Amino acid sequence: MRTEATPGSLGAYDEMVDDSGAPRAGMGTVADVLTRLGAEGLSERARLRDAYLDRQGITFSLSGRERPLPLDLVPRVVGAEEWDRVEKGIVQRIKALEMFLADVYGPGEILDEGVVPRRLVTTSNHYHRAAYGLVPPNGVRIAVAGIDLIRDEAGVFRVLEDNLRCPSGVSYVLENRRTLAHVLPEVFAGAQVRPVAEYPERLLDALRAAAPSDVSDPTIAVLTPGVHNSAHFEHAFLARRMGAELVEGRDLFCRDDRLWMRTVRGARPIHVVYRRIDDDFLDPVHFVPNSLLGVPGLLNAARAGNVAIANAVGNGVADDKAIYPYVPAMIRYYLGEEALLPNVDTYDLSDDDQRHHVIANLARMVVKPVDGSGGYGLVIGSSATEEQLAEVARTIEGDPRQWIAQPIVTLSTCPTVVKEGAVEPRHVDLRPFAVNDGDEIFVLPGGLTRVALPKGSLVVNSSQGGGSKDTWVLDEGDRVVDDEGRPTPPRVTRVRRSAVARQSAPVSADERLRQQEGQQQQTLQPYAALPQGLPADGGDAPC
Amino acid sequence: MLSRLAESFYWIGRYLERAEATSRLLAEHYHLTVEDRSVPDDVASVVVLDALSLPHDVVTTPTELVRSLLGDIANPSTVIGSVAAARENARSVRDALSGDVFEALNGAHLTLTRGLTAAASPGASMFRVLERLMVVNGAIEWTMPRDEGHFFLSLGRALERIDMTSRLLDVRHDLVWPDTGPVAALRSAAGLSAFLRTGEAPTGDMVREFLVLDPTFPRSMLHSAQRAEAAVRGLQTLGGVDDGELVREVGLMRSRLEFAGGSHDPAIIDQLVHDTQLSGVSTAAAVAAAYFRQAGTIVWSH
Repeated sequence: MRTEATPGSLGAYDEMVDDSGAPRAGMGTVADVLTRLGAEGLSERARLRDAYLDRQGITFSLSGRERPLPLDLVPRVVGAEEWDRVEKGIVQRIKALEMFLADVYGPGEILDEGVVPRRLVTTSNHYHRAAYGLVPPNGVRIAVAGIDLIRDEAGVFRVLEDNLRCPSGVSYVLENRRTLAHVLPEVFAGAQVRPVAEYPERLLDALRAAAPSDVSDPTIAVLTPGVHNSAHFEHAFLARRMGAELVEGRDLFCRDDRLWMRTVRGARPIHVVYRRIDDDFLDPVHFVPNSLLGVPGLLNAARAGNVAIANAVGNGVADDKAIYPYVPAMIRYYLGEEALLPNVDTYDLSDDDQRHHVIANLARMVVKPVDGSGGYGLVIGSSATEEQLAEVARTIEGDPRQWIAQPIVTLSTCPTVVKEGAVEPRHVDLRPFAVNDGDEIFVLPGGLTRVALPKGSLVVNSSQGGGSKDTWVLDEGDRVVDDEGRPTPPRVTRVRRSAVARQSAPVSADERLRQQEGQQQQTLQPYAALPQGLPADGGDAPC
Repeated sequence: MLSRLAESFYWIGRYLERAEATSRLLAEHYHLTVEDRSVPDDVASVVVLDALSLPHDVVTTPTELVRSLLGDIANPSTVIGSVAAARENARSVRDALSGDVFEALNGAHLTLTRGLTAAASPGASMFRVLERLMVVNGAIEWTMPRDEGHFFLSLGRALERIDMTSRLLDVRHDLVWPDTGPVAALRSAAGLSAFLRTGEAPTGDMVREFLVLDPTFPRSMLHSAQRAEAAVRGLQTLGGVDDGELVREVGLMRSRLEFAGGSHDPAIIDQLVHDTQLSGVSTAAAVAAAYFRQAGTIVWSH
């Protein structure tokens, strides 16, 4: 099926069909199913999906209200080769960012050589001197990363931003797959999709590897701000799927430079804390002094080497949007390679010439706060009023270090089910998730595709009314496939037939009596007779 | 209690458990075959049919498999057939059941026979089955007196659970779907969370050992054997006529599992699954011999 370009998506890369109008790899079956179901069928499936999500309690909180993350019925498909490039690019980027963090919280060589301006690092809100010289037990600071990608007008994947603090959304990647398989199983028929379910296991492995080296069987805890946090579903999901403890600050205390949790069997040590609360609230001894969410003394325990904190404290300096333009230079500096995934052009507003250029062309820019997330504070020039633009200009002049500007990039589009089962193109981005265990950086195939649901909108954040899509990476490698696209030969090595037959209630004298009663009435209810069992080869033989 | 009533209670327990375990197995199997397409459809169906000791001459795709195992009312191996059979047994002991139990079971039967096959997806069907069965089980637990009727029902449920868990293990998820199978097996037994709390990684061998030997998980073979033994002993204390054969069978089954722990040898686990499956059958035969089989009915012939 052909998705028509809308005025808002002029020139956008279409992920469903190529320039000739033919479906791209893997989209053929999807297109067929959409056509076959039609608007009515899709509406029916949408109801089924809503009931499923409600029942499962797969929610996020928006302005204090719990609601299901809107999952679109049409999957987003990424080809095997395309994904290969993305994966390599993400691994490369995280390697460089790890080296950067080790550098700026240590010798600072990259700053001495002027590759990254020292002033940007020292003025970053997330450069924490409390973390200086604090080296994690296995050296990993970025245990989990979410790298936001977009596809530009030419279809090239570009990095829009890095998330190296508490990237969220991976639970929806897993749940979206299960939900789509539940409500729209037909679309899976034509494709071999790489599974995503192994993520919690990978994360657990990485967290275990992060433990202090003298602990053989570490206790892992997920630290959540509590049930009122917007991502609480995800915190509980990950803890459950890893078999880890889900703890809040009030469950924990530090003593003798060790971290403990209060249990019914007394205090128990925690060796690795996967924290999902911000640095500022993590340890009132060093940061916000009246924080009730964190644990006093946690940083000292980490510095003593008795507990590992993942992700590390102070990672925010590396995903600061004013540092972002220098990531390709970091990759060159540390790895001697060119960046495999290009950045989006970005203006450094603390540079006078660049700032003047941006302010003169605000209507064609996207302006973002350097440490914002969730789309808060973001202004898209083309859809802002004159007054708003003037206000933005004043704000930038007031504190240029807190803002960056980028030319507007038209995000690629995917067909999306909108009102009453109609299918229209909507803009999407992609957040792949990566896990670093110190030996290997694992990139989960796919990631969270977020979709801007209002027509023409370029803002995909779930906190701004965005939805999500199940994201497929096609598996086209190293399998022998037959004519129907199925792998051959099957990997079944041994199948055992159960030794005993199923038993069923014997047809007894009582049953014969009942049959006679039934015959007397000249009718037999379909289930008036106790059902006959199957031929028995071991169990109770029905008479 | 009349032997006839006792037998009906026992079969209510068995059929309710069979309906629940089968619908879990089917729903997860369907999910698995949708998400992991590394195994051809007919092979995927055959491994389930074989484990359930069902013939596999007609069924090929997962959809057909699920539809046929949900739907056939005359076949007690299907979900609806099991619920119908449980309800049929409940009718014959209606005077001995609490109103809540009969109404819940009758309601389950009505709802499921009217609309189960029409549900949009196997997962949705499973939800409906589980929802109804949970109500029945809740009514059984909190309105039935703990007398012979409850013991027979519990005994039937425990023996069926042993049987169904052994069949789930016979599917050999770990061999057929090496990547996704072990977790699917856990989900089929509603045991994923329980397993993950143990802190072990869900490898094929660890999952099998858990489903056989975990002492705290209600669907493990060991736990079910303990429940079966408790029911048998309960009947004895109420003056049951068991001559010792049933106590011996069920005790043997439980102790074989209980004292096999800690070996971590997959071959031993496989053997235990096999032996316990057979033990379940001989225990069931001993139940029938001790409590249900009266002197042969006298039939006049001309």
